[in-house]
Amino acid sequence: MGEIILTMEGIDKTFPGVHALDKVSMDVRRGEVHALMGENGAGKSTLMKVLTGIYQKDAGTIVFEGREVRFASPREAQSAGIVIVHQELNMMGHLTVAQNIFIGREPRHGLLIDDASMNEEAAKLFAQLGIEIDPRETMSQLTVGKQQMCEIAKAISHEAKVIVFDEPSAALTDTEIDQLFRIIRDLRDRQYGIVYISHRMDEIKRITDRVTVMRDGQTVGTLVTAECTKDDIIHMMVGRVIFEEPKTQSRVPADAPVVLRVEHLNAGRMVRDVSFTLRKGEILGFSGLMGAGRTETARALFGADAKDSGDIYIDGEKVNIHSPKDAVRAGIGYLSEDRKRYGVVLKKNICENSTLACLQNYVKHGSLIDGEAERKVTQRMVDALKTKTPGVDQLVMNLSGGNQQKVVVAKWLISNSKILIFDEPTRGIDVGAKQEIYELMNRLVQEGKSIIMISSEMPEILRMSDRIIVMCEGKKTAEFDVSTATQEKIMNAATREIAV
Amino acid sequence: MKEALRKFKNLRFVRVIGFNRVILIAIIFLMYGLFTLLTPLLRNGSTFVNYNRVMSALNYAYFIGFMGLGVTFVIATGGIDFSIGPVMFCSALISGYCLTKFNLPLWLCIFISVGVGAVFGSIGGYFVAFRRLPSFITSLALMQVAKGVGSIFTKTQSVTWPSNDPATSWYRDLVKSSNLPVGFVILAVFAILCSIILYRTTAGRYMLCIGSNREAVRLSGVDTRRWEMLAYVLSGTLAGIAAIFYVGAYTTVQPGLGDTFNNEAIAACVMGGTSMAGGSASILGTVIGAIIVALMQEGILAMGFTISYQYVLTGLIVLCAVTADIMSRKRRN
Repeated sequence: MGEIILTMEGIDKTFPGVHALDKVSMDVRRGEVHALMGENGAGKSTLMKVLTGIYQKDAGTIVFEGREVRFASPREAQSAGIVIVHQELNMMGHLTVAQNIFIGREPRHGLLIDDASMNEEAAKLFAQLGIEIDPRETMSQLTVGKQQMCEIAKAISHEAKVIVFDEPSAALTDTEIDQLFRIIRDLRDRQYGIVYISHRMDEIKRITDRVTVMRDGQTVGTLVTAECTKDDIIHMMVGRVIFEEPKTQSRVPADAPVVLRVEHLNAGRMVRDVSFTLRKGEILGFSGLMGAGRTETARALFGADAKDSGDIYIDGEKVNIHSPKDAVRAGIGYLSEDRKRYGVVLKKNICENSTLACLQNYVKHGSLIDGEAERKVTQRMVDALKTKTPGVDQLVMNLSGGNQQKVVVAKWLISNSKILIFDEPTRGIDVGAKQEIYELMNRLVQEGKSIIMISSEMPEILRMSDRIIVMCEGKKTAEFDVSTATQEKIMNAATREIAV
Repeated sequence: MKEALRKFKNLRFVRVIGFNRVILIAIIFLMYGLFTLLTPLLRNGSTFVNYNRVMSALNYAYFIGFMGLGVTFVIATGGIDFSIGPVMFCSALISGYCLTKFNLPLWLCIFISVGVGAVFGSIGGYFVAFRRLPSFITSLALMQVAKGVGSIFTKTQSVTWPSNDPATSWYRDLVKSSNLPVGFVILAVFAILCSIILYRTTAGRYMLCIGSNREAVRLSGVDTRRWEMLAYVLSGTLAGIAAIFYVGAYTTVQPGLGDTFNNEAIAACVMGGTSMAGGSASILGTVIGAIIVALMQEGILAMGFTISYQYVLTGLIVLCAVTADIMSRKRRN
């Protein structure tokens, strides 16, 4: 490890309603791989965005190569020598490898692009990295792993000194990961400073020299990787004080009937052989890190996306669900994590949104809508759920996040769903309204509904669930009764490495 | 001034028919006044105020109005239909050929005309709703097909519907009977029917919601494909009905034409307050829009300009109306 090349000190960043970074500090040395870890929403990405000029910090200092810097754009950070290799690759598939690497700064002969020297330069870069890629190949023809190599080559061509890798291994195969690690070690030996963001615990041990852990927008601490254990890191990641008491035991009697049984559900890469049961009156929590396949599981179950295989039983009877229509008929309601896109029709009023899932029950004379009955049932729901609105004619776009969520709940209650899937039920909802949503969910299960709750917030999972399923990379990796679940156990299962 | 405007906007009748529609009605009167003033100046000795001119403008408004009603449903779902003009001509050509060459009974030919429109609408609707093709491309392709099919069917001959024999020309009474504008009554009846479909039935509710947020509607368990397709079927069917009113007014149809009417019907629609972004639509606005388009064409001809000016103006109206729509949506957000 060489001298310190980059220091971030007391970085502060606030978004409306969220203190995303709270006096965060971290330093990077030449010739080290420095892991940055933390749960979803801990602030890793925000910190990296501040570093690379995508966001502007509110307070704090960034010292790079001994001078204080302030980047107004990713371009400035790039030309100073700090480059980020994103998880989603920013490549143009129809261009060649060399064209992608040199985009915006193509070598030229007068007005024309000098293809020959561009390809030559690219080939030199790849030779440096010790990888074999033809610069004339079309980008979309390459595997994801090779595309990532191209991103790295591009970073080096910018004369980067610090390279940030944002979950680089998420989409790679084992051999590709080995190759990536060989390149990263090589870069380290050539005195680059490397920041490595990942959730995979074993990779941290394999490749990194130091690890900095963040939690809830703060730095918890920095450790030398060789001197710590996986448990140490997990403890730092989740070791918060939870103000809300977690539920100590399930309220669901052991003999409560099973309302939903899912067997060997498969859908694409993100849902692999998932099986579980849901009992009447139960809140079943789905925990895991981002991209673990929980939303995909819910969507496949609900018929929103096609499933490859798997059986679904409701009240013991097998049901065929090929579309949301089938799912709604079977008594399932889905409350999406992205309410504005998938939950509500913003430009329509509360009434129109509330009856959308069962409009056929509010008609008279054939197919004329019975406006009065519709308003009546909506008003009843507005009262029961305590939705704050001047009236049922209010457009949904004028409601707060919490009240929009209540409109979606009303939609599924009016259509008489027995099973409700809450996907991140409190995302984008302020603290006071959160409490209300929790109370509402508890009331619903008391009234005999059953709830699947997907949540990335550990306190929410522990507080609300009767039983907890943990997913990682498309598979179910653990199932706990709430009485035996701890943050450490859940995080362990969520970061478990699975042989592909 | 602002206060007065606010008060005016809050008047009961303004709220019922919409501020935009009130403005449009005012524009009709302004245009009428303008043409009355300018026509004698530009063309010595001729006047605009004249019963025949009103009837002639109405003749034009009917078929544009029927097409506009249809395309309103499509635009409400967030799509567009550029095929309606040629589909209308194709309907009129095929049914007219059946009437004059095969001597089929008139009622059957009217039925054929509506049927041809419905078939085109169904094909377009199928590709847009079930195969997820962009409505823009689909309707442009169908526009070509409709032009071609009409020409092939009539062996590239124009078709003139009979206008003297009472047994085969009673269709003309649908447009005008003993100098009374019957067509206006029929258009009004259809406008009311369309309003009921759009605002009071589940089908209309789904179409409008699809236009705002298709995915949210689908995830509410609604088969969005079916309802989206229905919008195109209605659009085609109403183009088939428009064909009867076109020949009722003008009797002769030529093959390979009709696309200029698309833009006029769409212009009627967007100036009437139907949002190109989908999700909100005004049937009344479309009818008023059709009258404005028709009056504009009558005025242009009366003042001695060629029809080419009409094309320029319709194009500009679409640009202005859509810009206004986008601006008002931005302001609201």
